[in-house]
Amino acid sequence: MAMQTQAKRELLALYEEPDQAADAVERLHGAGFEDNDIEILSSTPYPEGAFGEGHTKHRLFAFPFAGAACGMAVGIAWIVGAQVSLPIITGGKPVVAVPAIIQILYEGTLLGAVLFTVLGVLFESRLPDGVGLYDDRISEGYIGISVMARERRLPDAQIALEEASPIDLLSKEGSLMHAPGTT
Amino acid sequence: MIAPEAAGLKLSLRPPYRPQALSISLNHAGIALLTALGVLGIVAYVIKLITAWGDRAEWAYPTVVLMFILSTATAAPLIAYASRMAKGYWALPLRRVAALYAVPSLLSFVLLIPIMASLPPLDGRSTLWFEFRAGAPFLTDALALAILLLTGMALLWFSAVPDLAGPPSRVRAMGRWQRLLYLNWAGTARQWKVLKAANLTLGAFYLMGYAFVHMLLTTDLGQSLLPGWRSGIFPVYSAVTGIQAGIAITLLTAALMRRFSPEAGRFVGDEQASALGKILVAATLMWFYFFWSDFLLIWYARLPSEVAAMQVTVAITYILPFALTGVLMFALPLALLIFNRVRQSLSLIAGVSAMIVVGLLFDRIRFFVAPMANPSPFGHAMTELPAPYWPNALDVLFVIGFIGLMIAVFVYAASRIPVLNGWEMRQGAMLRKERTFMKTHVFVIGKPD
Repeated sequence: MAMQTQAKRELLALYEEPDQAADAVERLHGAGFEDNDIEILSSTPYPEGAFGEGHTKHRLFAFPFAGAACGMAVGIAWIVGAQVSLPIITGGKPVVAVPAIIQILYEGTLLGAVLFTVLGVLFESRLPDGVGLYDDRISEGYIGISVMARERRLPDAQIALEEASPIDLLSKEGSLMHAPGTT
Repeated sequence: MIAPEAAGLKLSLRPPYRPQALSISLNHAGIALLTALGVLGIVAYVIKLITAWGDRAEWAYPTVVLMFILSTATAAPLIAYASRMAKGYWALPLRRVAALYAVPSLLSFVLLIPIMASLPPLDGRSTLWFEFRAGAPFLTDALALAILLLTGMALLWFSAVPDLAGPPSRVRAMGRWQRLLYLNWAGTARQWKVLKAANLTLGAFYLMGYAFVHMLLTTDLGQSLLPGWRSGIFPVYSAVTGIQAGIAITLLTAALMRRFSPEAGRFVGDEQASALGKILVAATLMWFYFFWSDFLLIWYARLPSEVAAMQVTVAITYILPFALTGVLMFALPLALLIFNRVRQSLSLIAGVSAMIVVGLLFDRIRFFVAPMANPSPFGHAMTELPAPYWPNALDVLFVIGFIGLMIAVFVYAASRIPVLNGWEMRQGAMLRKERTFMKTHVFVIGKPD
């Protein structure tokens, strides 16, 4: 029983107007829900903070740096390995001279940065943990506000969402407003 | 004030405006012609592969086509990146058009392989690679181009996912890998933010890769094969004139889109011509700036080996392509683009753009045919000026066919991926409103992030 009250459940409300969605977020905040518990779903990107939500964090910018470092390391290994395995001294220059290796370093660094960025986009695009409810009406222009709440706080979340006049309110079991066309 | 097309300001958010891919049919004369040209390009390529593998002179005109693609199709996606970076809403209807050119850019890799295979050993000639031989120049150049093409495709795909994914139920019904490819798209605030950051990050890498590929290929397929040609400016010239031609081909595509695709064409008009026209004037002036910077140094220094190289590409051997380049890429465009009426009309600026694209072909002929056809690329100076290497019938068919193939691939890509960036256009419509200000009308533009 104690486990049941600790587990988080999800509610998804659909709104016709952005102002209604912003109102819902404000009410959820007022009811004590954190930004981490709230997710906004839309078919068009709205400016960050338009619904009163907090700053969305992601780590995409770390990926190119990590990739660039790996790529540069591979580039250094490639060039130094090649030069040392055939050590020809040209014009009195060192065997491993920077001007002669800069293109390879650039290429390796760029390759690593691009590959890691692509991987980073795939990784960072994952859905937040627990978000599972969806409704095709979001892709028709309605705005979805999803909230994760512990069992005992579900009524508070439901009240907050309902006070902002949604066209539908969904839980895992189905529509809580018995609207047609829900999943 | 050049107003945006009215359709772009009235886009519906509910239901959201969803752009469609082009509808093409072989019954359309233009599509049939493009298909025929594409087939011609493939046949000419296969014939070259079979009959001329390793024969560098035979790959001189394919090198021209390679550098033409790298300076038009491959340059175009930079417009999408630059306008995102500068928050230029005028470019919203053109971003996908520009990004779609990443698909025909893939043809450059198909060309690069046999061309690189025909190059002579690095020993005994000028080279960018000094004593480095572990894969240079074949592997290094192929890898650099592959990075650029991969970045271009990633940019195109990521920006297209919200338009292609469809409703969440469709994405969730996909297999694991396909769902990953569609970024598990649900439209969360975090996904939108990551998508925008990815567009900017990958765009920056694309610019870095573009400049790098131009440096490598202009050196390995140009300067290092013509003894005496030593220019630090030429790679920059190649990249900048590529941007000039990239803008031109985007404007040309926009004009054709407006003419032949009523659905997409209603968003494109004089606003795009006016904004890109200003950049095109600047790029046209840059043509002369970089040409003159290169020319003046050699003219003043009078080193016989460098003067001989300049005589090949400018003054004697390829004087005809040079003259055509000067007229079509600089003199005529500048004379026309200084008039507001030309610069601010999509149909008029498309005519100027066509000139620039044709001029670019002659420009790449004068720079890359002589080095590729040069029988003695070794040493530090030419003993005598080479005779011009004019195209044979197969070369002409190759150039026409492969450029036709490039356009055909673009049109095919546009028939699979919408030519308009729906989500960015919807956001643009949301953040751009016309308001009355005293006795006039102004646009109020929101640029939140």
